[in-house]
Amino acid sequence: MIALTRRELLRLSGASIASGLVLAACGKQAGVIDDNTITIIGKSPVTAPLADVEVTDAVLLRTAASLEYNAIETYTTALESKLLTGDLRKVAEMAKRFMDDHQQHADAVNALAVKLGAKEYRCGNSRINDVYLAPALEIITESENPNSAIDIVALAHAVENLAAQTYQGVVELLSDPMLRADAIRIGQQEARHAALLAQVLNPGLANVGPTSDAKTGKPNIAAVPSEFGSLANIQLTIGKPKPDGSRTTLILETPSLNSLVYDFVACQA
Amino acid sequence: MLSATDTKLLGFAQTLELTARDLYQFVVGRKSLSEDERQMLTQFHSHHVAYEQTLNGLLGKNSVSKRNDSLYTGFLQKLSETPNVWTALLQIENALVTTHTKSIESIESAKVSALIASIVTIEARHAAILATMTSTNLSLALDNSESVLVVS
Repeated sequence: MIALTRRELLRLSGASIASGLVLAACGKQAGVIDDNTITIIGKSPVTAPLADVEVTDAVLLRTAASLEYNAIETYTTALESKLLTGDLRKVAEMAKRFMDDHQQHADAVNALAVKLGAKEYRCGNSRINDVYLAPALEIITESENPNSAIDIVALAHAVENLAAQTYQGVVELLSDPMLRADAIRIGQQEARHAALLAQVLNPGLANVGPTSDAKTGKPNIAAVPSEFGSLANIQLTIGKPKPDGSRTTLILETPSLNSLVYDFVACQA
Repeated sequence: MLSATDTKLLGFAQTLELTARDLYQFVVGRKSLSEDERQMLTQFHSHHVAYEQTLNGLLGKNSVSKRNDSLYTGFLQKLSETPNVWTALLQIENALVTTHTKSIESIESAKVSALIASIVTIEARHAAILATMTSTNLSLALDNSESVLVVS
């Protein structure tokens, strides 16, 4: 006979109840008949099944079109904000030209998507807008932000990099070599936009290539930041300075599985 | 393993990058450049070295080790005259962008296409900056009317 103290008995019974709860929480098991003898605590949430989607060439092209509209909306906001004055007046001129380019790009990729039997997509990528652009604009347009004018240029620069990276990234995903070439034909022009805006943000030939901030060691904005086109995330530093002198940094990433414009995605009113 | 088509196209791309490398090498040696100009062009030169070497690695025993002499001579003539340096370099970068993009239409491997695409986006940035050295006209920096380079 095993002699147990009162304390050991309590510990054992506690462990038994805990393991019972764990098993109960595991729910149904394959091959086990549910005879309702095991109690389930709480209700398991009802999950909506994911739509049966496929990342096709058309989906990638529609996603690219959505980014073009994100860019158009960014420039529209920049121009309507009346922030691009004084030294930044030339950026207003650039913005108008870049907007025209983005409209042409959107028309071109939508035409390619339609050729593949898909519907064209003529609005911004809502997830890119909700996660990156809207929060960035909120920070930029805060009344206490003394850098709002240059910050809106920084946002445009980030959006151009995002677009260039997206086109570069889809080259590997597109199945048709002709579409790969079409994608980079547009992507290279987004890269040119980004290079020109980088020179506004960090001017001078000495800053064309990669440099870093002497105080923080962080990389400065550069027109030609690397040897090969990068697909890494994009850092956007904006907003009013915090007490320690730092500013808010947002991290932007190219569209992923949760932000692609699948066949069933329609423009939100 | 590269297909025969991809090997041929990458070999041509390597020839072009070798030519660009040598042309930049010539330009950075010019005394008329400012320090900042030299620094920037040295960087662009190093990029073309990287592209050539990457393609060399991909091609292995099928790699080419020679630039395209007729192309080199043609551009060298333009680069020899100081007022033409920036325009000629812009022309070279734009021609590389057009030619590499055209090759993507025929490259079979998606991974190889992605590599070429990563070169194209940087050469386009080179072109945009080079255009600003001669003009404030946005079209010069953004539009590319250069034709595809062919082997002569």
